[in-house]
Amino acid sequence: MTAESTKPPTRQERQHCWKLRDEYFACLDRLTIVDPVIVEKEPEKAKECLEKKSKYEDACMASWVEYFNKRRVLDVKQREYLEFSKQQSGK
Amino acid sequence: VFNWKSAALFLGTGAGLLLYFRSEKERVEKLREEKSKETVKAYGKPKIGGPFNLINAENGQRFDSTKELSGKFYMVYFGFTHCPDICPEELDKMAEVVDMAKEKKEPLVPVFITCDPRRDSEEIVKEYVKDFHPDMIGLTGDQDEIRKVAKSFRVYVSSPPSVEEGEDYLVDHSIFFYLMDPDGKFVDCYAKDTTAEEVASSYEKYYKEYYNNQKK
Repeated sequence: MTAESTKPPTRQERQHCWKLRDEYFACLDRLTIVDPVIVEKEPEKAKECLEKKSKYEDACMASWVEYFNKRRVLDVKQREYLEFSKQQSGK
Repeated sequence: VFNWKSAALFLGTGAGLLLYFRSEKERVEKLREEKSKETVKAYGKPKIGGPFNLINAENGQRFDSTKELSGKFYMVYFGFTHCPDICPEELDKMAEVVDMAKEKKEPLVPVFITCDPRRDSEEIVKEYVKDFHPDMIGLTGDQDEIRKVAKSFRVYVSSPPSVEEGEDYLVDHSIFFYLMDPDGKFVDCYAKDTTAEEVASSYEKYYKEYYNNQKK
């Protein structure tokens, strides 16, 4: 990669990346797929999201894609844990 | 036996006692107030932050905090320009706080210090901070200098150990705003979950307290 890769994304580029990320993740939500790694391993499971996936990965730096994907899993786990503990305390 | 003399004496004593108690009460309250102000200072603030000497991305010149920031309240954020979302969000938040403070005529200088001097050169930092607020000062330096400043602010920074030129990586770092007073002393820090309004109103309190204490 050229020196271009060391230049950080501008505000527009950031927002563009976030937008495409959100669209891809919304598609995964519809398929109740949490971990985007599953799509890497078994793309047939998320056929309708594959186009969004490649748009997202093109718009965002690789390190960001990895970070957002991991964060998605963590966020879902956290939400589930909070739900669980709420239920527990409700009892 | 009731007579005018004893009545007058009685009333006189009563009034005297009342006046005495009132002045005593005032004296004690004043003492208490002063004491409470003292105890706030007596507990002391944690030794976070300190003077730093880095490179100003705006002009490539040396930036000595003891000269450039003396007499001003400032707020420091450590981040890196390749940050996916947290840094831009936090810096936008800081810009909001600065504008709110400006409206109240309580100037606050926003300072961004990169934790990623390897990639964040002066040009890159200059470009980056311009995007958030015209007053924002962007600082960089060599690895050692940056490490020293981060250490003094107890900022946890972690880059991947062996990185090659042009490689894409993320830097782990603690996410706080550090509020420093015109004497370069640490005042408070604000975490990611505080809103711009909360930070701004907390700042206002410290600002007023600082200048009120100056008057004394």
